[in-house]
Amino acid sequence: MNIEQVKERAGPREFGPSDEMPEPYRKAATRMIQFHANSEIMGALIERPFIRQAPSLERKLAVSAQVQDEIGHGQLLYRAAEQLGVKTREEMLDELADGRGKFLNCFHYPLDHWYELPMIMFFVDGAAMRRQASLKRTSWEPYAHAIDKICFEEGFHIKHGEDILREIATGSRRDKELLQDAFEKWWPRILQFFGPTDDDSTHGGFAQEVGLKTMSNDDLRNAFLNAYLPKAEKYGLEIPEYPRIEYDESRDHYEIENSDLDWAEFETVSKNEYPPGREQIDSRGRRQEAVDWVREAIMDDSTTAVTGTTGAAAD
Amino acid sequence: MRFEVFRQEKRKEYHQHVGDVHAPDMELAKQYAQVIHARRKPANSLWVVPKDEIGTVDADEQSVEMGGTTQKQYRWATNFATGEMPEEIEESEREQQSVERDAAGESDD
Repeated sequence: MNIEQVKERAGPREFGPSDEMPEPYRKAATRMIQFHANSEIMGALIERPFIRQAPSLERKLAVSAQVQDEIGHGQLLYRAAEQLGVKTREEMLDELADGRGKFLNCFHYPLDHWYELPMIMFFVDGAAMRRQASLKRTSWEPYAHAIDKICFEEGFHIKHGEDILREIATGSRRDKELLQDAFEKWWPRILQFFGPTDDDSTHGGFAQEVGLKTMSNDDLRNAFLNAYLPKAEKYGLEIPEYPRIEYDESRDHYEIENSDLDWAEFETVSKNEYPPGREQIDSRGRRQEAVDWVREAIMDDSTTAVTGTTGAAAD
Repeated sequence: MRFEVFRQEKRKEYHQHVGDVHAPDMELAKQYAQVIHARRKPANSLWVVPKDEIGTVDADEQSVEMGGTTQKQYRWATNFATGEMPEEIEESEREQQSVERDAAGESDD
């Protein structure tokens, strides 16, 4: 298939491993799915400390289940990406470890406090879910299959996130103040979640033409605001004056004043050069290195493998 | 030899297990599968897999914990009452509800 044929046929779940896909398609799909997989892993890592910090056993169990889910999503997605034949799973994990692998802006910022957790678990995961739901119709079938399972599990994450938000928002005056502080700190990053406006998006056009993406960044951001602004208000959160958001009733559209957002910082974050984010990457890289010997032992199919079995040689 | 058969009803759908066939080799197994499992019911594609090649994990094996074998309410969307949710969250919850109902043996089918 050439690119023109791909664009013509592009539709939900249209292409799979048995189709000869042209290189630009395979590269674009790899870039997109690898980014998604990396984000699952890095998101799980910043949530993980809250298994220990959870204020109750119920929360501890739920946060731990959620972190397990996210790591599983990462694995599913690397598999879907691997089938494009551009990069192996090992290459993608190595790229994440050495700082070449890119991932979502929000996961470059440290989470310092329990009050900040719902910013990730409710708003960021909610934004991610919005985007993921639109990917059930992506043209790369293995990606859509991974998304089916991710979406099944993700409903729990967002409802649990909202439940934490509700609990804090109905707490003491101090709880509410700390929650509002966390919200103001995270709100601009959340607005940047969907990336720059469509005019400035480098890869969006092609990805949409070949059916990998089904909605533009702007439309996704707008749908997210439509659903989640009322939720923020429901819990008494005050939307900061800046960045300015104008609602255009005739178009049912939220217009964000782009110049109110720090796109220079976003750029630094996107390049993996934001120091706290870099530290998260390096910390994960060191851990990957520390358990290298386990991976090697598993991959080693010689008869001296650590499992002590000779399964591969039995035939 | 025994072969397990998976049928995909329409393009883009998942292949689902529909039964097995006995045959001396793959060639005949594919023909039997076609005749037995795809002659009347609509099918777009069949997967025919030698039974011996299939690895199995059973829920009652020791140290195996699979969905439905554990009581873990905290990881279900239905465990949290947060009012009206965005459509994609409601959909995720409906999928979880239907799995929970099946697990409880209340399914219609």
